[in-house]
Order: sequence, then structure tokens, then C-alpha cells
Amino acid sequence: MYVARASGLHQLHPLTKVLTALCLLIAGLTLPGNWTSYCITLLIVFPLSAWGKVFPNLLHIVWIVSLPFAISVLLIQSLFWGAGTPIFEFWLFAPKVEGARYALISLGKIILVMSSFLLFSLTTRPDALMIALKQAGMPSSIAYIIVTTLQIVPSFQRKGATILDAQRSRGLETEGNLWVRARALVPIVLPLALGSLMEVEERAIAIEARAFNSHKAETSLIEIPDTQFQKNFRTVTLVAMPLLMIFGILWRL
Amino acid sequence: MFEKIKKDFTTKTLVLIPIAIAINIVVGELVARLKLPIYLDSIGTVLVGAIAGPWAGALTGGLANLIWGLFTPTSAPFFYVAAVIGFMAGLAGKYGAFEGETPYWVSVLVGAVFVFSLTLFVLAFINVNVDETGYATFPSMGELFSRYLLLFIVAILLGGAIGYFLLQKGGYAGLWGLITGVIAAIISAPTAAYVFGGVTGAGTDLLVAAFRASGGGILSSVLAQGSVSDPFDKMLSFMVVWLILKALPARFKAR
Repeated sequence: MYVARASGLHQLHPLTKVLTALCLLIAGLTLPGNWTSYCITLLIVFPLSAWGKVFPNLLHIVWIVSLPFAISVLLIQSLFWGAGTPIFEFWLFAPKVEGARYALISLGKIILVMSSFLLFSLTTRPDALMIALKQAGMPSSIAYIIVTTLQIVPSFQRKGATILDAQRSRGLETEGNLWVRARALVPIVLPLALGSLMEVEERAIAIEARAFNSHKAETSLIEIPDTQFQKNFRTVTLVAMPLLMIFGILWRL
Repeated sequence: MFEKIKKDFTTKTLVLIPIAIAINIVVGELVARLKLPIYLDSIGTVLVGAIAGPWAGALTGGLANLIWGLFTPTSAPFFYVAAVIGFMAGLAGKYGAFEGETPYWVSVLVGAVFVFSLTLFVLAFINVNVDETGYATFPSMGELFSRYLLLFIVAILLGGAIGYFLLQKGGYAGLWGLITGVIAAIISAPTAAYVFGGVTGAGTDLLVAAFRASGGGILSSVLAQGSVSDPFDKMLSFMVVWLILKALPARFKAR
């Protein structure tokens, strides 16, 4: 996901970026007003991504991922809205203005969720995030889980493909009607799961031999630059998030 | 309490969790490649719950969705649902749902009761009456029975067949999966309706459309869609995990 660029946004402390993204997300979902999420996306998230020189990447991914959502939500909510003002009537179809409006509001929230997540993940190196989280007091076991997952997924995808090919070469049908395809599932999933469970012990011994259970504080080769301003900013976002949520709930009561 | 939670997390459990998350992702992709109309993207989560207890299962589920959210941001808001699924799998494991074999009649009963109540739920939903003030009244059960008697008989027979041929000797695991699916449907519906406007961009949206067309509100349509597809999906996931655990060599289970 990470896109290496020389920009001010890339140089910010990873936690500053996580908290900013979360804060924008919560603000967009809780603040009153139907079009708030569009405003936040257009006025804050997009300019920030331009500052980080990843605006084209962000726009591209948001476009690809949100397109099926957009089509689905617009069709379903406008066509099946129930009572309302029709935009036009054609045979059985009478999309409603109110439904289309609701769909656009939902789409704004979807785009905000995606773009604020991407703003963070496009500009933050995963290993820098892990070091920052560990320094902030997260248990190193959680960091281990996240880093290892990111590393082993590609090798598992290869393993899955190998098993699929192997079973096919033994005559397993993976195309045809639903029943044929459904029956192919167990012969593929079982070897994958069993084979990987066998790795567990080896890996456990390997990390225990490297002081995984040590309680001493770890040191890191990579220094993560931080400033007093960013620290203060993070405190502000941490206070702002629960306040935004409380405000959002009270406003709707 | 805290000590008890900590006991769930041995080094082996911590090693198991990333592998389980990778299994979730890869099996989810394989299912999509086989073009099956289900997700099956929580097999790893259920596996950790069954092997290492509810808290490890919950952590696996939550982290799986958050990590996967880095690639497909839309799965991240549902992390709490995945955590609950892992927790339920852990409870199921504690009560022995993944051990031993279920008698066939129990599996048949589980299937029949489930498909029967699903039919009842969907029919009640389709036949709901909304008056001018927006107040919804559900039809009485007796009314539904007399109108759709044949459909109910078919549902019970179909459920029994599902129990006999699909659940086979894994009836208890399947039952826990069904319960987990119902809970998952209920707790994920508000997020799906509020954040995503009731759609997922996947094939299940057709169900949402069908329920909207029959007059349901947004939240209730999402809930109805979830109650139809989630229990079935989780039942299959629990079943697959039951099969995996059955095939595991005794040496692994002993640890």
C-alpha cells in the first residue's frame, strides 16, 4: 500500500497520521449535516493527500473500490425507496428523489471512510507504524501479529494456488455448476489449514529462541522523528474524538 | 479475570493468530475464485477460537479486519463483528462443539428448526402491514401457517435434508455457527445501514433490494439480508473448522 514520496506528510510521526485519520473519520460520521462527510473529504482529506503527493493514487483506489458501492446503493435506495417523488417513470421503474438523496449521503460516508484510511496507509511505512505503536506502549505481541500477517499473506496466497493446481491435476473439478464448485472447497481448504497449522510449532520455537518473551524494553535501529507540536496535536485529537462522539449522539437525541 | 485472559495467550497462540488471519484471507479469495455465493472469510478466526479460547478468537477476528482494512478499507468498520465471531467460536470450543460426533437426528433437527424459523421470519417480514402513520404490524403466526402451510412443510423437509447431508456428524458445530451468524447479523446491521447505506457492493445486495421492494425500512432490510446469509455462512465456517480439527493429528491437539 505504502507509496514512497518525499513529502511533509510522509515525515510526520505515524501516530499523528493515525489519529488525524481517525479524528476526520469520526468527525465526518458524527457531526450534524448530511453533506459533512463530502466537505471533510474534499476540503481536508484531498488537500492533505495532495500535500503528501499521493492524491492521484488515493483517487484511483477510492474510485475502484467505491464504484460497486455507488452503483449498488444508488440503484437499491432510489428504485426501492417506497413513497416519494419520482424522478421519472418508465414501465416498473420509478426512482425516487428522496432515495437518490439518501444514497448520495451514504456514498459520502463510504468515500470518507475509504479516503481517510488510505490517506494514512499510503503515506505510512508499516514498520515505522509498528515501532511507533510499540514505543507508545502497545504490547510487542500485537506488533508481532500485525507484522507477521503482512509478511506471510503473499506466501499463503502462493500456497493456496499450489494446492489448487495440485488438486486439479488429480482430477478435482473447480468449474461447472454450483454443486461441483462447492464440493471442491473442502479438498482445498483442509490441506491449506492443516499444512499451515503444522508450521505453528516451528515458528513458536524460532521466536522463543530469539527472546520473544523477554520483558526488557526493545531498542530500534530506526529513529522516528517527533516534535513537541505533534505531541500536543495528538493530545488534542485524543480529547476531540470522544467529545465528537458524545456531541454527535446528543445532537441526534 | 485479567490473569485468565492472559492464560489464553501462550507463544503458540500468538504464532497461530497471524497464520489464522492469512487463512481467512486466502480462503476468502479461493471462495471468490470458485464463484461460490458465500464469504467463508472467518475460518481462521473460528479456528483460533476453537483451539485457543474466546479471547484469542476475539483478538484474531478484530485484528484480521483492521489489518485487511489497510487494503480494503470497507472491512475495517466491522472489526467488532469479527471479534464477536471469534469469541463465540471460543465459547463453542469450551462447550465441546468441535469435539466428537453429533448423532444424525440432532443434525436433522438443527437444520429443520433453523430453516423453519428463517422461513417464518422472512414471511412475517414480507407480509408486514404499514398503515398511514408508519406503524408496522406483523401478521400473527396462525395466519401465516394457514396461508403458507405447504411452504412451511417444504422448509422443514429442506432443513432436515440440509442437516442430514450437509451437517452430517457436525451438528453441534453447525448449531453454534448458526447462532453466531444470527448474532453477527444483528450487530453488523446498524453499521452496514448507517455507514454504508445498506449495501456491500456484493451479490448479497440483491437480497437487500428484494426486502426493500417488499416494503422494509433500510435497517430492517439489512437485518433481514444478514439473517438470511450470515447464519448459513457461519454454519459452513464452523463445519469446516470441525472437519479441520477432526483431521488434525493427536500430537497437535495434545499441546
